[in-house]
Amino acid sequence: MSARPGDAGGNGAGARGYRPHYLAHRVRNSLLTLGGLAVLLVVLLLVDGGASVKLKQVFALFAIWGIATVSLNLVNGVTGILSLGHHGFMLIGGYVTGLLVLPTATRDNLARSARSELSDFAMGLSVENWFRALGLDSLTTPETLWARFLVAVLIGGLMAALFGVVVGFPSLRLRGDYLAIVTFAFGEAIRLLASTPLMSSFTNGALGFAGVPSDIGKSVWWTFGFLAVTVFVMARLKYSSYGRALQGIREDEIASEAMGVNTAYHKVLAFAISAFFAGVAGGLWVSWVGTARLDLFLFFLTFYFLVAISVGGTGSITGVLLGTALVVWVRQYGDPLEQTYALSTWAVAAGLVLLAVAALAFFLRRVRRIKPDLGPVVYVPGALGLVAALVGLLGQGMPALQATWQGFGMRAITLALLLITIMILRPVGIMGRREFTWAWLFRERLDEPTEEERAQDAWLSNPALSGRAGAEREDDEVDA
Amino acid sequence: MLRLAGVNKSFGGLQAITDLSFELAEGEIVSVIGPNGAGKTTVFNLITGVYTPDSGDILFEGGSLKGLRPNAIVDRGVARTFQNLRLFTNLTVLENVLIPQHHKLRSTWVSSVFRTSGYLAQERRMHEVALEKLSFFGPRLMGFRLHQSVEVLSYANRRRTEMARAMATGAKLLLLDEPSAGMNPKETREITEIIRRMRDEGGYTILLVEHKMNLVKDISDRVIVLDYGRKLAEGAYADVVNDPAVIEAYLGKRSDKTSAVARARAADGLVAGSSVDVPGSAAGGEERS
Amino acid sequence: MAASAVVPRRRPWALWLVVLGGLGLITWRMLYLHGVNEAFNAAFFAGAVVRSLQLGSLYALIALGYTMVYGIIRLINFAHGEVFMVGAFAAYFLFSRTPFSWPVALLVAAAIAFGVLQFLNFWRGRARDPIVLAGALVVFAVVAFALASTQLGWFWAMVASMFVTGVLGMTIDRVAYRPLRGAPRNSMLITAIAVSFFLQNFGILAFSNRQTPFRPASFFTGPLQFQVFGEPLFTSWMIVLVPSVTAVLVVALTLFVTRTRLGKAMRATAQDAETARMMGVNVDRVIATTFLLGSMLAAAAGVLWGMTFGSINQPAIFGILPGIKAFAAAVIGGIGSLPGAVVGGVLLGFLENFLTALFPRTEYFSGITEYKDTFAFLAMIVILLVRPSGIVGEDLSEKV
Repeated sequence: MSARPGDAGGNGAGARGYRPHYLAHRVRNSLLTLGGLAVLLVVLLLVDGGASVKLKQVFALFAIWGIATVSLNLVNGVTGILSLGHHGFMLIGGYVTGLLVLPTATRDNLARSARSELSDFAMGLSVENWFRALGLDSLTTPETLWARFLVAVLIGGLMAALFGVVVGFPSLRLRGDYLAIVTFAFGEAIRLLASTPLMSSFTNGALGFAGVPSDIGKSVWWTFGFLAVTVFVMARLKYSSYGRALQGIREDEIASEAMGVNTAYHKVLAFAISAFFAGVAGGLWVSWVGTARLDLFLFFLTFYFLVAISVGGTGSITGVLLGTALVVWVRQYGDPLEQTYALSTWAVAAGLVLLAVAALAFFLRRVRRIKPDLGPVVYVPGALGLVAALVGLLGQGMPALQATWQGFGMRAITLALLLITIMILRPVGIMGRREFTWAWLFRERLDEPTEEERAQDAWLSNPALSGRAGAEREDDEVDA
Repeated sequence: MLRLAGVNKSFGGLQAITDLSFELAEGEIVSVIGPNGAGKTTVFNLITGVYTPDSGDILFEGGSLKGLRPNAIVDRGVARTFQNLRLFTNLTVLENVLIPQHHKLRSTWVSSVFRTSGYLAQERRMHEVALEKLSFFGPRLMGFRLHQSVEVLSYANRRRTEMARAMATGAKLLLLDEPSAGMNPKETREITEIIRRMRDEGGYTILLVEHKMNLVKDISDRVIVLDYGRKLAEGAYADVVNDPAVIEAYLGKRSDKTSAVARARAADGLVAGSSVDVPGSAAGGEERS
Repeated sequence: MAASAVVPRRRPWALWLVVLGGLGLITWRMLYLHGVNEAFNAAFFAGAVVRSLQLGSLYALIALGYTMVYGIIRLINFAHGEVFMVGAFAAYFLFSRTPFSWPVALLVAAAIAFGVLQFLNFWRGRARDPIVLAGALVVFAVVAFALASTQLGWFWAMVASMFVTGVLGMTIDRVAYRPLRGAPRNSMLITAIAVSFFLQNFGILAFSNRQTPFRPASFFTGPLQFQVFGEPLFTSWMIVLVPSVTAVLVVALTLFVTRTRLGKAMRATAQDAETARMMGVNVDRVIATTFLLGSMLAAAAGVLWGMTFGSINQPAIFGILPGIKAFAAAVIGGIGSLPGAVVGGVLLGFLENFLTALFPRTEYFSGITEYKDTFAFLAMIVILLVRPSGIVGEDLSEKV
């Protein structure tokens, strides 16, 4: 039973085991990754070149919210701290970026407006002015907006990171749900504070300011560029020693500390990095909308991100992006849900949804062998759904059901129901903690024993095979 | 190497540790034994900074550990295992043994994101150390097991992973809280051998809490007996188990016949196979209270 | 080594010093303000006191629901503010749209009767008990007839709304929370947030999407005027009604929790659900009861809130601020403790309302009214950081 020296990739190559340092696998994976990137590039080219304005906006929004969700995932998924204040960080980044890139003409208009509460000092904060003062006149043209935007978004991100440190400090004293509520309170307090007279010389109170250039926020290339940087940093971070330490905090904070991890520093660090990228996402989001307004940064935003993370897979970057795609899709293409229909149509739709719930519950109980198949979870929604569908179908002539009803809020309702369903059926989300990798796609697993290892393992765990079996009786009684 | 000087600790009105002093020399294996609730784990918690002593001092290699955060104490070179395992359940065995090396990393998070050569060299070194520590336990945690999540491991393998994890911190002094709990006799013997090898080959000093007297007898250079937070006895195993005070702490003062039987059986366990005569166990129903 | 549960000795004199010092400062500030401006007279401050008490009572009613649920299943019921919202809207429809057409009346009556059935269950213990069934049936018939024929007054609307909302609370627990018993607490909190968003948007869909007037014909919304040290104070009878209804409900709840079998089971479950289950307590039923009672109190608070302010906000935002402030109140009082919730609620009412009276808008100072909500959030953060166990509670935050 001598120990075998091993290397990082494991050893004992057998017929079945996957070993990533095999040249063939590495070449294959690299080729596949390049191919995937090429496909993405082509898609982006097509979207940027030929697609409708709406599709372009949807892609840009996906990238922006992707930055936000992937950064929130660092705290929520990787470090395991439920943070509900992401909208507050985005607000800071958004307002700072918006104010700094506001074009001079818009500034002059605002300065002349009687309703503007913005102070002269705030109006003077402009990257354009700074570039001029530095003699970089070539960077003050409309064509070089990107340079000003980069500087602004960087400052916005840093400001947000500063607040991230502040919000991170309670995590040293509080845990779990109390900490979640504190982050929520911070997020809301930031928004409420921005509307008070104290801050309105910078934020213009409830009015906000319009005229933020949309060139960057609606550009597929810029937003995906930012997303790529975010994903790169987050993925590298997750798979570095720092990422392992953060995951250790998620798994067991006491044990992490006992293993030398400075949990206080790492928690605050996670908050700061997460808040920085949230600030960047906020800047892009304000640019996407073209306006800095307080109602862009309601708790609703964090809820959307929470749905994306929880549905996609808590802690998995690829899963979170999947969830973001879903949320953006529902938000941007869910308008048919919010149209006006006759009550009978609504009744049929509600009935069908309830019947689907019943069918799903029945199917799951069958698969999981829960008896009886027809529990209340099945027959209550089933019966209600049947009644609703029948009333809708048969009562089409009834005057009461002729009335029309507009589906205000149906998209949010859909997302909320989706989140509840996922939480009940699969609390870790679709992808779980796994990432999408080529090895995962081809079901090649590092933790699968080779034939040799399997045999050795059986030998180790079977006392009859490893000998010295019968002589242990007396020892058993010593176990106190 | 480690010195506790007059350490006291109370929780509210309960005096958990009273005036506890002992010393550990480098390269020693010392066991702390005592009945349940004697304060053994509290001693570990005091040394590793989970609790701060009310008075007295804890010195490690000349420096005081008093008031340091647990992670700072690991930096000084003291690491521990937990009585009821506290592994990173959803992470792999390898990751579990890499995390304790994180505190030695001398790269910022930025250079770890950009994978600078300095960071990569340290990362490689971490992997080597991890495999070295895991190979202490033979092939059990090697190969495919490295990449298995701890969740699917057997209880004994989880204990081994936890010991490897404590070793990987780079500490010189290891505090093992019941390393053989939940193991069968064969595995216990194996762990005994490994603890000895940890000292001989790894150069660790080891302080352990243990209930299995066989293990204690086999490997301890010295034994410290605690009862109600006080040190009852200290010395070689054979001397300590014959100390009347120790026997009384473990077995209680005799009161009736049934407990005498239980006492005799427990005493058999305490001295496990050796023919040391436990005072009182032979003498039937004699009252001593 | 188990740490014993000895509570460290308190120093009551320090507490008294703080309280008396605070009262002294407040008196000094009041005298100063009176000296600055004649408008800040005794009637002004008396009005602030009664308004604080009124608002505090409302917070207390909502906070009781938070504290009961947290005490039992350690869940911050994020959706409680929305339950409060539904309570207000249900009552609004009951007094403003009655008489209903027969199908609607039957549906609503069925929901109310189901709530009454669960309520009667508290004493009889079994839903199939003939007395319970008969009671529910009678209620169903009477309520259906009443809904279809007459216009409901605010009181009966409130009672009916309490039962409907109670059923809603139980349904939420059954559908969303019960499948998650034993799941990580973060999952439960996320689910609660999802339920909260569901209810907000369902409210927009089903009730209204704008501010709604809430003015039932009632003697209590009428004006009330009296003299304070010779100065007239203009207010409404609501300052009497709100604290009285709160007092009655709190006394009823206390009696229920201390005197009935189910109340005892509730306290046992709050102590240790697992042991209570082994001792034969039907824990799921206890939890359902908790949601029923908490939601009923929230509904009462919703109705009183609407009557106090004369209108209710649109559903997506109506519940959020009262909900989160009531949670803050529960935390201030000590979450998990019923008296704590009442004390915390009243205290928060005073903090919010009386402080704005102490720092009013003068010619030198723009007042603190705009900062009221920010202040409530910051107060909650400070309380959670400094003393998570609140004033009278024990620390129930997640232990390691």
